[in-house]
Amino acid sequence: MDSDDDMHDANDVESMDEDFYSGEADDYYNSDNADVDDYEFVEDADADSDVFTARRHQQNYIILKEEDIRQRQENDITGVAGVLSIPRDAAITLLRHYNWSVSKVHDAWFSDEDRVRKAVGLLAKPVVEHPNLREFTCGICFESHQRDKIMSVACGHPFCITCWAGYISTSIIDGPGCLTLRCPDPSCGAAVGQDMINLLARKEEKAKYSQYLLRSYIEDNRKTKWCPAPGCEYAVEFAAGSEGYDVSCLCSFNFCWNCTEEAHRPVDCGTVGRWIMKNSAESENMNWILANSKPCPKCKRPIEKNQGCMHMTCTPPCKFEFCWLCLGAWTDHGERTGGFYACNRYEAAKQEGAYDEAERRREMAKNSLERYTHYYERWASNQSSRQKALADLHQMQTVHLDILSDAQCQPESQLKFIIEAWQQIVECRRVLKWTYAYGYYLAEYEHAKKQFFEYLQGEAESGLERLHQCAEKELHQFLDDESPSSNFNDFRTKLAGLTSVTRNYFENLVRALENGLSDVESHGGCSRAASSKNGGSSKASRGGGRGKGIASTRAGCSRTDDASHWSCDQCTYANARSATTCKMCQHRR
Amino acid sequence: MQTSRARLFKEYKEVQREKGADPDIQLVCDDSNIFKWTALIKGPSETPFEGGVFQLAFAIPEQYPLQPPQVRFLTKIFHPNVHFKTGEICLDILKNAWSPAWTLQSVCRAIIALMAHPEPDSPLNCDSGNLLRSGDVRGYQSMARMYTRLAAMPKKG
Ligand SMILES: [Zn+2]
Ligand SMILES: [Zn+2]
Ligand SMILES: [Zn+2]
Ligand SMILES: [Zn+2]
Ligand SMILES: [Zn+2]
Ligand SMILES: [Zn+2]
Ligand SMILES: [Zn+2]
Repeated sequence: MDSDDDMHDANDVESMDEDFYSGEADDYYNSDNADVDDYEFVEDADADSDVFTARRHQQNYIILKEEDIRQRQENDITGVAGVLSIPRDAAITLLRHYNWSVSKVHDAWFSDEDRVRKAVGLLAKPVVEHPNLREFTCGICFESHQRDKIMSVACGHPFCITCWAGYISTSIIDGPGCLTLRCPDPSCGAAVGQDMINLLARKEEKAKYSQYLLRSYIEDNRKTKWCPAPGCEYAVEFAAGSEGYDVSCLCSFNFCWNCTEEAHRPVDCGTVGRWIMKNSAESENMNWILANSKPCPKCKRPIEKNQGCMHMTCTPPCKFEFCWLCLGAWTDHGERTGGFYACNRYEAAKQEGAYDEAERRREMAKNSLERYTHYYERWASNQSSRQKALADLHQMQTVHLDILSDAQCQPESQLKFIIEAWQQIVECRRVLKWTYAYGYYLAEYEHAKKQFFEYLQGEAESGLERLHQCAEKELHQFLDDESPSSNFNDFRTKLAGLTSVTRNYFENLVRALENGLSDVESHGGCSRAASSKNGGSSKASRGGGRGKGIASTRAGCSRTDDASHWSCDQCTYANARSATTCKMCQHRR
Repeated sequence: MQTSRARLFKEYKEVQREKGADPDIQLVCDDSNIFKWTALIKGPSETPFEGGVFQLAFAIPEQYPLQPPQVRFLTKIFHPNVHFKTGEICLDILKNAWSPAWTLQSVCRAIIALMAHPEPDSPLNCDSGNLLRSGDVRGYQSMARMYTRLAAMPKKG
């Protein structure tokens, strides 16, 4: 691509803060090791850096490492045990029951201790008193045993050590339900706590139990979640009332707190959910696994259906009861289905469906599939483009920056602008990817909106291509230089400028889409000016992004100011006449 | 394996000793396999199953009693929580509410209780469940009684 006719020229680099080139932004990168605290609010880390002021959302969350989690859990347990004057394992049982909320435990305990004890199975005294027997009959194997081979929890029901060990082992193998284990006697609800587990379980079972306990601390607590990145073991604590949902984990994965999918601004969680469902529905073909296991609608763990019954109960501790057919909660089944168990009738009705409709349906299916394919391809190619950019960013950080520093005699701290550029590319690919899900769900009849959207998306694509190109291709020539190149400073200016302009553009795009393109009524559809110079440069488009849909809707729009708009000199965006600065790039008229 | 065999043998001896103590339940161990049992249970009175005798088949896993036995009706029965074709039973104590302190005898008692108190909200037999859910108790009872007569009563003459 010819850099001379870039619509985003690098003018506004001059206006940028000098700190951008100095080493001051380093604080951000070094703050991880700072001795401030074990963990810190991320917002503190970059508050001092102008480079990051572009991040509008306050980050009210803390990333927790395993040590942090264990430490907090231990503090909560010893705290509750101390305040309530109860043993440690009783405190664990209580905390687990109240989803690890210390205040809820206190409230419940001090308002009605007896009721709480009953609910969680912490008996104050035994229900069966042991007379001075020398032999007991175990309630599981029915054999008689010497007193020293018999154990019981607070209730006093006698079971032999071997049967206890088997009982405990079975429940640990069955899963995290072992955390709420009760006395084997069906009429008794006495809790079996960690002290009993530690006495009787094997080493690997104890480890598994303690792992479940740790998991429970994160998963049952409404304020914490695991980072969903595969292999990542960090957790996130999220403060209520935060503005945005985006969380950036220390493993560098960005995700949405609300739905735990990868960060997806500007698209909302519901759209993401539908899109992901759609994708899997289209790609999976009657898979046996899919047919026989479904994610629990509450906890998302796959539940296998191995019984004829439609009434599913998720494994403990979730225990959510749902309907296999419609995935609705079992409790609201009666009313919603008119008192009938009708969920299974749907399939039958569909199979018997009127034959004369078949053709019309097939036609509709074909059209909708084509439409879907259009958006999906673009969504997916931006995704893979983003993966590639992530890999390039890594390569840059680990290998190329070193080489470049030597070749151009530049301290690495002054090459941060390259990393910035790559981080921006990764972020933009992410946004762009989700604009395709956005586009797919944008109603066909909202003509003006759709046109405006496609225009914005097209500009975003081409702007990003320019940045990507510059960071990828133009940079390479400087790697092989024998001696420092005189052009390097120009390159710096250009790349930093493109990064800044692209960041602005994308932030405005995100904002516009999050507002549901509410400006579109005042602007009207086709007066949006197309960037005539770059409109046809689709061959440069690596992501495969600019579809024919965009090209056709943009055709016929010429880049002329009409009475109600002025076209920005810097980015070509058509602004309302009343505006004095460009809505997209803040350039003055 | 050894544990489950020993435990089942205990239950076997208990059944022999207590023969006739509970006239509604008759538990029989297979002649050659202690992990296979059958039971004959009487339909509880004041239910559409009254007067019927129902046969249950038990398949007992090696991890018994840490794992529950598998039980199904061999006799056809029209009941919301019993699969009409396979005889499968939807009962919490046979699934996640199992306790190793239960016995085959107590499972039989729980099944008799289920016959008297169906749970139409977790139906394995949708037709039967729907009748009860829609409040058509008479319809349910007459269907259930008809199947009891057809399948669970000795043919006369
Ligand atoms: Zn007990
Ligand atoms: Zn025992
Ligand atoms: Zn992570
Ligand atoms: Zn979300
Ligand atoms: Zn679940
Ligand atoms: Zn069921
Ligand atoms: Zn502009």
